Amino acid sequence: MPKSQYICPNEIRKSGWIKFTDIPVNQYSKTIEEEKANFSTEDFLRIYRDMTVIREFETMLNLIKTTNEYNGIQYNHPGPAHLSIGQEASVVGQAYILDKDDYIFGSHRSHGEILAKGLSAIEKLDDKELLEIMEKFFDGAILRVVEGKQKNKNDVKELAIDFLVYGTLAEIFARETGFHKGLGGSMHAFFTPFGIYPNNAIVGGSGDISVGAALYKKINKKKGIVIANIGDASMGCGPVWEGLCMATMDQYKQLWEGEYQGGLPYILNFFNNQYGMGGQTRGETMGYDMLARVGAGVNPEQMHAERIDGYNPLAVIDAMKRKKKILEEKRGPVLLDTITYRFTGHSPSDASSYRTKEEIEAWMEHDSLLTYRRELTKAGIAKDDKFEEILEATKELIAKVCKLAVDDNVSPRMNLVKNPNQIADLMFSNGRIEKMEDRECEVLMSKEENPRVQQISKKIRTGIQDGKPVPKNKVYQFRDAVFEALLDKFYTDPTLIAYGEENRDWGGAFAVYRGLTEALPYHRLFNSPISEGAIVGSAVGYGLCGGRVVVELMYCDFLGRAGDEIFNQLSKWQAMSAGVLKMPVVLRVSVGSKYGAQHSQDWTSLCAHIPGLKVVFPATPYDAKGLMNSALIGTDPVIFFESQRLYDIGEMFHLEGVPEGYYEVPIGEPDIKKQGKDLTILTVGATLYRALDAAKILEEKYGVSVEVIDARTIVPFNYDKVIQSVKKTGKILLSSDACERGSHLKDMAQTISEVAFDYLDAPPVVVGAKNWITPAYELEEYFFPQPDWIIDAVHEKIMPLKGHAAKNNFTVNEQLRINRLGV
Amino acid sequence: MATPVIMPRQGQSVESCIIAKWHKNKGDSVREGELLFSYETDKASFDEEAKASGVLLDVFFQEGDDVPCLTNVCVIGNPGESTAEFNPNAGAEAVAKPVEEKPAAVEAHAQEKSEEAFPVTAVEGDRIKISPRARNLAEKLSLDYRYAAASGPNGRIVEKDIITLKESGPVPTPAAKGEFAGQTMTGTGIGGRITTGDLNTVKVSDAAAMQPAQEAGPMFEEVKLTNIRKVIAKAMHHSISSTCQLTLNSSFDATDIMEFRKKLKDSKDRLGLENITLNDIILYAVSRTLMNHKDLNAHFLDDRMLYFRNVNLGVAVDTERGLMVPTVFNANHKSLNDIAREVKKLVKDCQSGNINPDLLKGGSFTVTNLGTLDIESFTPVLNPPQTAILGVNTIVQRAREVDGEIEFYPAMGLSLTFDHRALDGAPAARFLQELKHNLENFSVMLVK
Repeated sequence: MPKSQYICPNEIRKSGWIKFTDIPVNQYSKTIEEEKANFSTEDFLRIYRDMTVIREFETMLNLIKTTNEYNGIQYNHPGPAHLSIGQEASVVGQAYILDKDDYIFGSHRSHGEILAKGLSAIEKLDDKELLEIMEKFFDGAILRVVEGKQKNKNDVKELAIDFLVYGTLAEIFARETGFHKGLGGSMHAFFTPFGIYPNNAIVGGSGDISVGAALYKKINKKKGIVIANIGDASMGCGPVWEGLCMATMDQYKQLWEGEYQGGLPYILNFFNNQYGMGGQTRGETMGYDMLARVGAGVNPEQMHAERIDGYNPLAVIDAMKRKKKILEEKRGPVLLDTITYRFTGHSPSDASSYRTKEEIEAWMEHDSLLTYRRELTKAGIAKDDKFEEILEATKELIAKVCKLAVDDNVSPRMNLVKNPNQIADLMFSNGRIEKMEDRECEVLMSKEENPRVQQISKKIRTGIQDGKPVPKNKVYQFRDAVFEALLDKFYTDPTLIAYGEENRDWGGAFAVYRGLTEALPYHRLFNSPISEGAIVGSAVGYGLCGGRVVVELMYCDFLGRAGDEIFNQLSKWQAMSAGVLKMPVVLRVSVGSKYGAQHSQDWTSLCAHIPGLKVVFPATPYDAKGLMNSALIGTDPVIFFESQRLYDIGEMFHLEGVPEGYYEVPIGEPDIKKQGKDLTILTVGATLYRALDAAKILEEKYGVSVEVIDARTIVPFNYDKVIQSVKKTGKILLSSDACERGSHLKDMAQTISEVAFDYLDAPPVVVGAKNWITPAYELEEYFFPQPDWIIDAVHEKIMPLKGHAAKNNFTVNEQLRINRLGV
Repeated sequence: MATPVIMPRQGQSVESCIIAKWHKNKGDSVREGELLFSYETDKASFDEEAKASGVLLDVFFQEGDDVPCLTNVCVIGNPGESTAEFNPNAGAEAVAKPVEEKPAAVEAHAQEKSEEAFPVTAVEGDRIKISPRARNLAEKLSLDYRYAAASGPNGRIVEKDIITLKESGPVPTPAAKGEFAGQTMTGTGIGGRITTGDLNTVKVSDAAAMQPAQEAGPMFEEVKLTNIRKVIAKAMHHSISSTCQLTLNSSFDATDIMEFRKKLKDSKDRLGLENITLNDIILYAVSRTLMNHKDLNAHFLDDRMLYFRNVNLGVAVDTERGLMVPTVFNANHKSLNDIAREVKKLVKDCQSGNINPDLLKGGSFTVTNLGTLDIESFTPVLNPPQTAILGVNTIVQRAREVDGEIEFYPAMGLSLTFDHRALDGAPAARFLQELKHNLENFSVMLVK
């Protein structure tokens, strides 16, 4: 879309060939003798030690899962444990060169990655840094459990290893002394101070989140690289492909400017253990033959793809060194196909019915712990007794940690009897942070020079002047309000970025971002691929790393495309991290109309149903700017719904006009848009205006005085004003454009019934859209709530209106009939 | 051929009858002369026998329904015959029968304009449809909402109907409506509705102004029990029928506590304790005395006793709605002032109806006071499984001989009812004796 890029017909129509270069497959062939130049004896042995720690750790878990016992320690662990016994060399090799500034994201099978990365970080950090990290984490709560239990009391590294192994295991066992107070568990354990970022129980879940982390590194000039570790079968997941597309966009190299130009510091690494649960990726469920081939289809660099031997730690280290260099030269990203094999099943309940005993035994003969040790012995690095000594120490370590982790006294679980709100309090961070970092904001011009700002300054900031509506071309519109809030934040928070489809140049499909292109460099405002999953998923990654981000879904209907990212990722990481992570992400969702069944739906109720999301839906310019400001200063994920019916509407309620300066409308507070005494109408979103039309008719024709309340926010929601109103009127009707069945309004009606039952003169009545597909624009009045629907429903269910003849059927029988039919 | 059975008219003054019991169910076969249903007027019950044989094809009213006389109640005939033509509810039912799944807009529903249809009281079976808000308002205004005309959807009584009721009085039945000319009158029909009988009364009284109107009506007012009355009735009967209770009476010299109270009143500016009543003083003394008499601070549970470690003192409170007994928990650990304040709050909450239901349970002993109503002695009724209850009586001047002189002193009566199953007379008497001693030396007791 940028005009600078000319799409030349002659060029495009020219004949030719796409040339591929060879993709290396297991090309590492160095001997220990040759590697002695790169590794000291200690290095060689430490690699061995790290592999044994992981092996013993997972062996312990396997025994506990299958026999409820490890070395005499009795324990029942009902939760998950997806083991990677057999895969140790691959993770230790990868982690070897990484330090705490390099971030890894993982999968449900990531215990080994946590330990390997943690051990590597401990090796590289000095004692002071280690102590500081351990002291600071949950005020030293985890450190308190393990400290003083070391052979060498002055050995901080030994202490840190105990800390790492214990924190991980306590997390797996759902202990409050785990890395995330037991709220993450086996599949979601991580530890950010060592650069270990969320592991994800959704297959491929890290595929797009990690891209956001790489964007965070690049845009905020942070040290380190980002690696997504996912399984071979996750190549079949849409979001992984979407993340891949987003990670390889041409614009990094062609349009981003100055030091921001160049590829993402990002490795998409597949720990290819040959199976997706029981499905065999090569030969059965995928067609790539070798996974590394996929890189060739993504970009001209073929993602520097390579298949490497994950059964040889030195081969992996060799590849990592070479690939990290590529990233440092801004030639990334990189795709790695790290082959490996797990001896254990998908989980301990897996009987391995999909593979033969011979196959497992053959791989066991290649077991890296045996072959690597054999090679080292052969090369004279160390003798057998040294290896035995390492094994013995590892067993002691794991037994010690296991004993602590199963002890309810030193490793208690959350006490939800004593602190019933402990999890509830973690659902939102409710922070107020004006800027996520304190440094200069990169912008291209002053606010005053901005053409949109100049244009807005000529507009009338209220919708009604001298009792008459202000014409559309003169009025300060809803879209201007959203723009103003965003522009302001772009000049306050240097980490703020915005992206989505058609955000730059076009200014967004609904002209909200017009003027931002002029104001912002590419890296702060850019167009994404049509990858809703990755748009939201990468925002999750950007946010949890500590950046603020606003992303957009052009139509609410595309929310399904980003379902996992919104429902499982955006909403959950704050609580699953026990508050370690924040999620300052605003997801703008535009609710359509006129465009039929797949472009007109209000899905606020879906979002409201998912714990952990704040859901707002302003209907006026004043509320839009105030709520956007609140969303942008907060630290929680906010789903910010906007109605396409309202982008050009002026402010009809704050007649003194929408303030030019900064102000906030608190999230969670409904607003009384019109006072009344006989009937309350509560609306969500654009339905407000139809409710006001209905109120006018009810008043003028039937003498019913109507109070109209705009919910503004759906989650959280303070019912006080609504209940006060219902106490006064005794009657309430709720309306929104969401399909009526399962609408959040039903939830609100239920709450009102319970709270204000004794004050109700009629049951709360919900008027939503039909439970149909949205028809064409010309038929929308039969689908979305209309003023006469509201009046008919009042007449039929709340208070018969003298002389009123209903046009629509709101009888109880009709209600039962359509329910019986499911429509 | 199908034969309808009507609700007979028993005498000229009867307009409607209530179906008390169905002896046959819809679908049963019926022989001539068999009992069909029993029904009641406000004066008597009657049985209706079948006048034809066949199958009870349809039943239009249920037990408890109030059926206008001469209305079809049921139909007897041969299987398969249509009964719809006899259904007296047919008009109203039409909307309620969504047999065909017709598209919304065209449905019969096409709403006749809702012109001031005569309000019909919202009776469905024996349930009256009324919104919570309307019911609350009716209770607040002490109005019997059964008199209200329902104007809400589906015949629901709503707030405005109660306001109308308050402003315009009760609403006549359909039968009486024709003759009703806006006079105010007391309804005597079922559910308090104005009947044609009432209209006659007005006519008679018009003709012979000397004759008191109410002579034509019944000699009593029938009022349904409130729930709390029902609960009290049940509890009282349970107490009397399930325990072996008897009462010991005694009295004590109230000089000391009266003086003590006077001191508190006199020094109100200094102490701020002027609100402590004689009853509070007695509660305090009881809470301390009981600790020495565990049989009386106990629950009797047939095969075992629960002896309470602390005194949870039930305090009987007279409210508009009836007797309530909130509890002062751990009264033995509370100061006199604490007890006084807590009791005041409990009484207030009971009277305003805001009492936390948890505070209406858990008592280990109860004190009830009728002394303020000049009662000199009475038999308090036990609150089982508690083993005793103390009644406090009024103060009377009583004579006694002191050193050969007759002197008068204020004597306050105490009536202790206890459960003889749980303890014997002597231990109960010993408690009363110690209590008497403590109250007569209250200032000393306070020091302990």
